[in-house]
Amino acid sequence: MPQPVQYRGMALIVPDNDSEWKEFYEHARAHRLVVRKCKACGLMRYPPTHACPWCMELGWAWQEVSGRGTIYSYEIVAHAIQPGFREMTPYAVVLVELDEQRGQPTPDEALRVIANLVTPDFTPEAEANVAIGHRVRVVFQDLADHMALPQFTLTEEPASGRVWRMPE
Amino acid sequence: MAVQSRGLRDKYCIVGVGETEYSRASGRTTRAMAVEAIRKAILDAGLTAADVDGMLDYQGGDSTLANSVASDLGIRFNFYMDVMGGGSSTEALVGLAMGAIEAGMCNTVAIYRSMNGYSEFRIGGTGARAAQPVRGLDLAQVPYGMRSAGQNFAPTFMRHMYEYGTTSAQVAHVRVAHSKHASQNPKALMKQRVTVQDVLASRWVVKPLHLLDCCLETDNATCIIVTSAERARDLKNRPIHIMGVAGRVSKPRLDFHWAHGPISRVAGYYAKDIIFPQAGIGPEDVDVTGSYDAFTFTTMLQLEEYGFCKKGEGGAYVSSGIIELGGKRPNNTSGSHLCEGYTHGMSMVIENVRQLRGTVDDYCPRAAEGVHTYDYSPGHCRQVKDAEITMNLGWAMPATGSALIMRRG
Repeated sequence: MPQPVQYRGMALIVPDNDSEWKEFYEHARAHRLVVRKCKACGLMRYPPTHACPWCMELGWAWQEVSGRGTIYSYEIVAHAIQPGFREMTPYAVVLVELDEQRGQPTPDEALRVIANLVTPDFTPEAEANVAIGHRVRVVFQDLADHMALPQFTLTEEPASGRVWRMPE
Repeated sequence: MAVQSRGLRDKYCIVGVGETEYSRASGRTTRAMAVEAIRKAILDAGLTAADVDGMLDYQGGDSTLANSVASDLGIRFNFYMDVMGGGSSTEALVGLAMGAIEAGMCNTVAIYRSMNGYSEFRIGGTGARAAQPVRGLDLAQVPYGMRSAGQNFAPTFMRHMYEYGTTSAQVAHVRVAHSKHASQNPKALMKQRVTVQDVLASRWVVKPLHLLDCCLETDNATCIIVTSAERARDLKNRPIHIMGVAGRVSKPRLDFHWAHGPISRVAGYYAKDIIFPQAGIGPEDVDVTGSYDAFTFTTMLQLEEYGFCKKGEGGAYVSSGIIELGGKRPNNTSGSHLCEGYTHGMSMVIENVRQLRGTVDDYCPRAAEGVHTYDYSPGHCRQVKDAEITMNLGWAMPATGSALIMRRG
């Protein structure tokens, strides 16, 4: 079993028998964002699950996605709970809606991913730049030989839909 | 899928309630606290240990099991289970207790929750839980500094503000109302009334939550006793009848509810269609609500999802005065999790039982006899006049919730 990855005071554990995450993080370490795609209905899902939530098919394959998307919601953590995050406050946690499969198979469903909104050097993005509607792309924060964390950073693309941030 | 009512309305009752002191330093074990709370509830019901033959409790690896507390009290079981669970377990276990009795497994069930939620296992994720490694599904969120309840719920609250224009000042009224209620409650940890400005001026925890939008981590134990209406008739208190219950109802994609929106929708959207037909009433018939206040926003979101106002109008509803003592439909009249102390939902059911009995433990000199002044100025009364029907809206997270409707017998 690989050693736990130490990150911001947490031990992240992905054992050899982790049939949800092991390969996901191997792809992430190669800087590919992947999700599982159903072999029967073709719909993709995240996080990794073992059967298709729409058709219960067991067969699936990893599918690389573009890693581009839009901020769907967010929060700004001012008071860190985990000690390793104290030096990072205030930091943004974003819920990113990926471009692939938006509004499928029903209008309210989408491939959504939680991550931090960071600058290209993985420091927290300034709070004034965090807003629903802003466009983002995935970047990979290498943590160990076998693990990288997908994170998101702002792009120059025009916003998608209404741009909104919490009033001051 | 529609759930068919089984015709159990009014066939079961809550006959006893009890709790320990709410504190932030209990200085004793969860076993010791549970024994005190269960004993108080048994005595409150006018029962003996020999009459209690069923037990249910819930926890998250932070509490004592039923076997030890039952032995402390001399209870022999015909049925017991220790259940994993947090908020919204209270109402669900009331339903399970009814089911166990209905199935002929036992006669009377004591439900308890005991936790050193401040001094030992802090609900917010610090304390003894902080050192736990991150694995499995937690990898989707925790490595990003998203671990506590507030951090887990904040994007839901933010999206509600985006979609409906809900403001911080509107939801601050939940804290204002509950602090007013706590000022009438000798048990409450925070009895000081606060203003909207006080809430908005308190420090940020995780936007959109200020410190005063968040509840109080607390040490306490609580207990509720359920039995059949038949047995309840012979006991000492006015029986409080269970009209309907919905337990741990969920949204789709419980592994990652963000995948299935709208994310500003919460589990009550589904639970309301189970509980109101069971009870044969609608929201307009409810006199007092107990909408779980882990945060100001959770109270607001559930009230609108269960139809006490239109979807999206929760901010206007909670800031209208309706939810305050003296208003049309007060919510959490004890001050509850925001001001009285955090109990994982048990205290909200206990409070509504006392409201229906007419014997809330406020500062009225003859409260225990059911004599109240209905003076809602600070340090006086919190009894709602002629409360006949209450409804609890239990919250685990945006995607899971429970509900319970009770009436006075």
